[in-house]
Amino acid sequence: MTTYIYGIVRRSHPNPPKDMGGIGDPALPVRIVTGGELSALVSDAPENLRPKRNDLLAHQNVLSEAGAGGPVLPMRFGSTAPDDKTVAAVLEERAAHYAERLEALDGKVEYNVKATHDEEAVLHRVMGENPEIRTLTEANRQAAGGTYEQRLRLGEMVVQAVQAREAADAVEIQQELEGVAADVSVGPQSTGWLANVSFLVDRDDTEQFLASVDKLRGDHPHLDLRVNGPLPPYSFVEPGPAPHAAQTAGH
Amino acid sequence: MTVVPAQQTGGSGGTSGLYDVLELVLDRGLVIDAFVRVSLVGIEILKIDIRVVVASVDTYLRFAEACNRLDLEAGPRKSPGLPDLVGEITESGARGKSKGALGGAAETISDAFRQAREEGQEAPRRTTKRTASRKRQEEAE
Repeated sequence: MTTYIYGIVRRSHPNPPKDMGGIGDPALPVRIVTGGELSALVSDAPENLRPKRNDLLAHQNVLSEAGAGGPVLPMRFGSTAPDDKTVAAVLEERAAHYAERLEALDGKVEYNVKATHDEEAVLHRVMGENPEIRTLTEANRQAAGGTYEQRLRLGEMVVQAVQAREAADAVEIQQELEGVAADVSVGPQSTGWLANVSFLVDRDDTEQFLASVDKLRGDHPHLDLRVNGPLPPYSFVEPGPAPHAAQTAGH
Repeated sequence: MTVVPAQQTGGSGGTSGLYDVLELVLDRGLVIDAFVRVSLVGIEILKIDIRVVVASVDTYLRFAEACNRLDLEAGPRKSPGLPDLVGEITESGARGKSKGALGGAAETISDAFRQAREEGQEAPRRTTKRTASRKRQEEAE
């Protein structure tokens, strides 16, 4: 029977979510596989496992539950091993590496922040900042919208100004929030956000972090900020910003 | 349905908040090479969500139109502050992209934007977002 892995905790974790419902329909119960000083949260893997919404949620729920009692290294969705023995062997083989990460993440949670512009508000802002755009807009208005070339020219200027704002705002969001965070992980670009950044925040600092987000919202009404957390530290399972492969090889 | 994890969600919340979390579950987290990962074929649809501004003729015309319709008196009017910055960064922007998939997305948003303006709604972009989220939700089911 194939084994599905949710995450890794210390063997001494006081309250691992044993017997909680995991992925699958009906939900498969969560088991604990121990190797050395570490434990993996696993269940049987359903046949034809696919990234369905309910299974993604189940994965997330098991990790949230585990995270409430102690540090957890969340696996990316969809990791399976041929059997429990293989899981235990991996835990023992890379014990030092995982123990170090659990130590680093102890007492910390992830907050993911995504930002977009409120279009109308950002247009107001770039117009306010740019007299040339104001002048062109006014001229076009008086010419019943302007010629094709005039509209194109105005539009190009506005788009460039908005893009510049996107870049500047992305930098500012990170600067404003990283002071309250223990670590920062910038998510992949080009998924439709002007900023997609995860912050590792000490549980004791979460209120302060959320207050900083609120301040940012207040100071920048043209920003639409979406905050999700506290979450298991998905973006901080490997030290530093480098991709995993290099690090795993070194340990 | 499984219980939605307890969390504080800012911004528009709801379905989009859930989507933001699922994206992390799929994209981040520990990968161990000794384990096999489930195929994610078909899940790419979750990530198509173009909302940053893309430079194209369509976008230019859309923004020119939006500016013409903008009520300058209604919003904050600040004195010009960052002309240097603006000029500098735009040089690296994606210039002159021709109409393609992104242009199409911009058009859709443009339609929603215009429609919402005409109907006098206050947050046109959110309308687009919700529709997109709902679609994603269906795809992921």
